[in-house]
Amino acid sequence: MNRPGEARIVPQYPELGTRPISVEPMVSADYFARERETIFRHMWINLIMRAEDIPNPGDFFVRDIEVLGVSIIVVRGDDGVIRGFHNVCTHRGNRITHATCGNSNGFQCDFHGWTFARQGDLVHVTDEEQFLDFDKSEASLPPVHIDQWHGFLFANLDDEPAQTLEQSMAQFNADLGGFPFDEMICAGRYRYEVDANWKVTMNAFQEGYHVAFVHKRSAPDAFTGGENPYCHIPLIKLQPGGNQSLAVPANPGHALSPTEALAFKFGATFTQGTGNESSFPGTHKGEVENWGFDLNILFPFSRINVGAGWYYVDAFWPVDQGHTVYELAYYFPAPGKASAMVSQEFSKIVLRDLSREDLSTNEDTQKALNSGALRHIFLSEQEVAIRHLYRKVDERIHGHHEERTA
Amino acid sequence: MNTGTLPQPFEYLAPWLEWALPTEAGRMQKRLDASMTQLTTFYNILLPRMEEIVAYLDQWELHEIPADSKPLLYLALMFMEAAVCVELFKDPDVPESLPAAKMKVFSEQTEQALLANSPRP
Repeated sequence: MNRPGEARIVPQYPELGTRPISVEPMVSADYFARERETIFRHMWINLIMRAEDIPNPGDFFVRDIEVLGVSIIVVRGDDGVIRGFHNVCTHRGNRITHATCGNSNGFQCDFHGWTFARQGDLVHVTDEEQFLDFDKSEASLPPVHIDQWHGFLFANLDDEPAQTLEQSMAQFNADLGGFPFDEMICAGRYRYEVDANWKVTMNAFQEGYHVAFVHKRSAPDAFTGGENPYCHIPLIKLQPGGNQSLAVPANPGHALSPTEALAFKFGATFTQGTGNESSFPGTHKGEVENWGFDLNILFPFSRINVGAGWYYVDAFWPVDQGHTVYELAYYFPAPGKASAMVSQEFSKIVLRDLSREDLSTNEDTQKALNSGALRHIFLSEQEVAIRHLYRKVDERIHGHHEERTA
Repeated sequence: MNTGTLPQPFEYLAPWLEWALPTEAGRMQKRLDASMTQLTTFYNILLPRMEEIVAYLDQWELHEIPADSKPLLYLALMFMEAAVCVELFKDPDVPESLPAAKMKVFSEQTEQALLANSPRP
């Protein structure tokens, strides 16, 4: 049996243990139902959209959160405030808008023409005199809690969220808040449908152990090689509320392909690592040698990952216990000229395609776990973030978590 | 069928005009439908000329690039699709990956905003 003599990370988190973990949370529909009711319905959900996506009064987008069976409209009001509403007419429950985004003076129901203002109030009822004992002010669109963190829009479906968004961001307020998010724009957005549990999908992105194998084509030497052949993670911070940071190492010996060299000449690239020597506030660049980029996991299922001149936001949207939608949005400084756009296209394509490699094992893994062949799985020290995720989910569904109030 | 136009110094790329597609989703699909021979040929033609192409396009701000030069930009963007096939994947698709059919690209909104022929606010 291996001895933990060389362990660096596990001793920092003794409560996580070292033994194999059960597969039940990955395969059980009952477990998923408890996750939905105790976690997804109560925590802040990263909508993978930003305030600047709806800059003007009346700008809106619609987000369907399948796991909760809700559709929400997020709209900027005449007062500039961004609000959220259930996408439902208060008359008899019809869906108010079938648009995905746009600008509107308000929202009119197709069913009987009830009309709601951008601020959610019911402003017109057709044939109103036929409604008895009726007060329009009691039939505004049902509100949904919306808040922003450095421009990122989050929703919370709880009646009264136990934590503010800022409280839920915890250590990220200090560690990540300084990143220049508002200087970049969304250059690419992708959605992937995966027949696997959201945690199985997310686990494939929570360690560096897989990189030398899964990314042998897309990143043969960018994050592995030299003195770190297995992409050991130089910095892992596991927060009490479930958030996590992992600094992905760069291989200083990474050889740029002809095209990456071309792209790097005109901008930052996904796999450049420390090739760009600028400092980047909001990252762990200053804390680790050979820093590549940071993965920042926002419990329960989204991430804001920051690199040397770019960032990407992603989410492992749970659909049901065996289905996940992985959504990824990649941000760069707004390109002023073609050279910057062409350079960014390289990184967009590499990350887009590399993510398909990450997702490649999920469906086979899920099938195997569903078969009952395994009761538990083994995790190395390098996979401690996976262990931490299962621990934090388990604490929540059993009501053993501590709410952070400060 | 060839569509679009190319600036005079780059008319030699005319045989590739079918690949001058304005959206990432369209370019990705074109790449997936192409053969490695086509992708490698395209890559080999463009790689030594990319700096020249980019320098030509850089005489304008992105949103000011004239319509008759936009296909050249689309070809430069398509070059990146071909490049990962040639340099990384050795295949038009991504081997050992979640099937492309299970993925959708939603980059069009940004692309249209960047290339719209009007000053950005």
